[in-house]
Amino acid sequence: MIPFHTRLFGAVVALTLAAAAPALSQQLELKIMAPAAPGGGWDQTARAMQQALVAAKIARSIQVTNVAGAGGSVGIAQFVNGAKGDGNQMMVNGFVMVGALAMNKSPVTLEQVTPIARLTEEIQVIVVPANSPLKTAQDLAAAVKADIAKVTFAGGSTGGVDHVMAALFAGTIGADAKKINYIPFSGGGESLAAILGGKVTAGISGLSEYEGQIKSGKLRALGVTSEKRIAGLDIPTFKEQGIDLVIANWRSVVAPPGITPEQRKVLSEAVEKMVKSDAWKDILKQKGWDDAYLSGDAFADFLKKETARVTDVLKSVGLVKS
Amino acid sequence: METFVALAHGMAVAVQPMNLLYALIGVFLGTAVGVLPGIGPALTVALLLPVTYKLDPGGSLIMFAGIYYGGMYGGSTTAILINTPGESASMATALEGNKMAKAGRGGPALATAAIGSFVAGTLATIGLAFLAPLLVDFAVKFGPEDYFALMCVAFVTVSATFGDSPIRGLTSLFIGLTLGLIGIDKLTGQARLAFGIPELLDGVEVTTLAVGLFAVGEALYVASRRHHAEEKIEPVRGSLWMTMEDWKRSWKAWLRGTMFGFPIGALPAGGAEIPTFLSYSTEKRLTKHPEEFGKGAIEGVAGPEAANNASAAGTLVPLLTLGLPTSATAAMMLAGFQQYGLNPGPLLFAERPDLVWGLIASLFIANVMLLVLNLPLVGLWVRLLAIPQPWLYAGILVFATMGTIAAKPSVVELSMLAGFGVLGFLMRRYDFPIAPVVVGLILGPIAESQLRRALAISLGDPLVLLQSPMSATLLGIALIALLAPFVLKGMNRFKASED
Amino acid sequence: MTDTPSSDLPQEPAARRVDPAGLVVAAVLAVLAVVLVLDARQLPATTMYGMGPEAMPIVVAVGLGLLAIGNLIDGLRGNLPPRESADFKPVLLILGGLALLIAIIGFGGGFILATSALFVTTSAAFGRRALLADLIIALVMTTLIYLAFDRLLTLSLPAGPLERLL
Repeated sequence: MIPFHTRLFGAVVALTLAAAAPALSQQLELKIMAPAAPGGGWDQTARAMQQALVAAKIARSIQVTNVAGAGGSVGIAQFVNGAKGDGNQMMVNGFVMVGALAMNKSPVTLEQVTPIARLTEEIQVIVVPANSPLKTAQDLAAAVKADIAKVTFAGGSTGGVDHVMAALFAGTIGADAKKINYIPFSGGGESLAAILGGKVTAGISGLSEYEGQIKSGKLRALGVTSEKRIAGLDIPTFKEQGIDLVIANWRSVVAPPGITPEQRKVLSEAVEKMVKSDAWKDILKQKGWDDAYLSGDAFADFLKKETARVTDVLKSVGLVKS
Repeated sequence: METFVALAHGMAVAVQPMNLLYALIGVFLGTAVGVLPGIGPALTVALLLPVTYKLDPGGSLIMFAGIYYGGMYGGSTTAILINTPGESASMATALEGNKMAKAGRGGPALATAAIGSFVAGTLATIGLAFLAPLLVDFAVKFGPEDYFALMCVAFVTVSATFGDSPIRGLTSLFIGLTLGLIGIDKLTGQARLAFGIPELLDGVEVTTLAVGLFAVGEALYVASRRHHAEEKIEPVRGSLWMTMEDWKRSWKAWLRGTMFGFPIGALPAGGAEIPTFLSYSTEKRLTKHPEEFGKGAIEGVAGPEAANNASAAGTLVPLLTLGLPTSATAAMMLAGFQQYGLNPGPLLFAERPDLVWGLIASLFIANVMLLVLNLPLVGLWVRLLAIPQPWLYAGILVFATMGTIAAKPSVVELSMLAGFGVLGFLMRRYDFPIAPVVVGLILGPIAESQLRRALAISLGDPLVLLQSPMSATLLGIALIALLAPFVLKGMNRFKASED
Repeated sequence: MTDTPSSDLPQEPAARRVDPAGLVVAAVLAVLAVVLVLDARQLPATTMYGMGPEAMPIVVAVGLGLLAIGNLIDGLRGNLPPRESADFKPVLLILGGLALLIAIIGFGGGFILATSALFVTTSAAFGRRALLADLIIALVMTTLIYLAFDRLLTLSLPAGPLERLL
């Protein structure tokens, strides 16, 4: 989201530049699609990019378009078909889209787009209410193994990162992922209430959403999904408790299919410059997002592996037909 | 006692002249953006949040509160004037409010909405200040089975929107329930009734349905009847302001609306729709002028509007005490707080009492400013209805479609809007009530998912509905409300035959 | 859910003629019920605990079926409220305007042209004959709306040839 003044000012500057100085290096005029309604995470990411790219003078103007629907399935279909070969367009996407495309039997897949870069990620956490008898991730694992039906997990939408994580947890400890009793709630607020009220055994969410509750002692965090402990937080990782569960809710940006290597290079360089700019760092801090910049083939590889992993998990819980 | 001192201190900060000005600007911007179709309070706050970045925390907080209240009131204004509710919470307001506006009583309708919002907002803010810790314990204990029972109460009471014939009312309700089934099932991710159309996977948008049925359907219906007698809309008939009679009929409705709105709004999944409908049906039951309902009864605007505003204040209870954002607007407010370094949550009241009480005082002030700005504007707003009929309806249709175009510019979504317009036209022509369709679309999916959550947690044991005291009580209330009219009718008949 | 027993219904005296509208409503409801059942049957049973996604559609379908019978009886008895004659020409004109709007948006003609088309047809449906004046009013109004959304609120409305000139 852009401060009003900056935007008006930006518009004025853009007009002046357009009229007077075509020789300036910042010739990029980009369209960034947020495949979701205004206000959500992908929209905020797209608008943050807009703000940073313009503020750091990497691009002259950025237009953000919103195409909402079905976890991004509607947006990506339009993007792949409508922007083919257009080197001036990008689309924001993320973890949730991988599952949504698989579950909605989307004819368009993430293999078709041109990967540019991963931008941010958020670590996940499993929590229990403070008065729960479960103290560690191993306690939870034991409870799941004892009677998987009785251990209820509250989290976000079906097939989203919380659900995938619950299935991965069960799979990792050797339980039958198909049998997990996962209760999806529409928002973090609703599921948190169910956890605090003791209606469910455990809750799964992004760390920042429950951080306040964990610090105040109302919730106990059983583990975080990062490789190493997070500085400033006294929460063990699942890995150090002997459960190999590493997952993060990432957001990235991609380009249309069929663009030339040169066009891809221009976009990649613009994003790289943006990620290193102070404007972007300020936004990350302000929004509380973690930098997870990964570009080029490394990102393409990551995207492929993540797609395979998520699809496998969704097959194991029966959401996607194999 | 401490609460009073803290609140007084917050007030002292909020009433500084500069802060009053910020509140006024906030209310103005909020109202101006909030009246645009397709932009509900949540998006209004999202769009205008950046405006507050440049101010000091105190000033930006108070401007923010102003934007919030202004955005809510803006939605009600379009509901009353052009039958285009900007969000589902102002649905109930449109039912009677637009009828009033057409009868030349748009002035009193807008006034009772503004004053009702003020009264409810003020009372609910007091409730927030004094009852928050108590309410939040209650709210957290409210489980899926309790929500399902609450939905049952709501379903029983919506019959108030049914009109004369139960069969026609139920037909409308079931059309709404059918529409509510469309899209991805929240609990299993399976697509229902989507027929392979990706745009349908997200289900039917409440605002698309409401705007299609109300605004488009109405325009078609009026056009089809022009040859009878041109319907003359007089912007003002009688007093532009509320008469003594209006006040008398409104104040109880405001209070009752607040009683519904605040506690239900404080529930994490309570929302604003249920209290507004509960308020509407209560007013319809209790009114001394039942013949006016459906033709523009002022209680039917006063109650739901108060309930809507009180529920918005109610959502602040879990937000401030637990850091739980329970609505889209609350999520935006959370984002707003965070930029002022406020981290809502259990520690907030202890760590930053100055900011919490500053916020609560800001809400008071913003509420006052809403009145200051909007009451003088009432006369201007109703003049809109003096626009010649062709332009008025053409403008309404442009506004109605614009909301959909802004939110989802897809051919499928616009076709749905047009289709719902035709449905609204046919239902008007063949005398089926409109409101139950929207009620079914809103309540059906909530009731279904809460019941299924409750059953998943209990591993399929339906007794869970009776084991929770809350749910058992609510189900009892629903049963009584269902049977009471029959019993009363029977007694009346008995009495009548005795005479 | 019924709080008004049938004795409160306006009693139609002599005019007990079969009303075709009631029969059509009954037929539509019955078809809807069948569609719901068919759709529910294709849902895979993946639910492990509690109620599956097919339960609610069946409940609604049963309700629709009962209401189809109710509306059928009402229609056969001619129990429908009286209707006034309707003029369908303006209705079709407005619907034509909506179709035009959808087509223009669909083919990338942009917000201004699309909503202007709707404005002009609606205004004509309500009896105005000054097409050109209305068109100018519509273009000016929708251009202002477009600018307000695009420049002030940074929400992009669909852009076509006209919008690109701005």
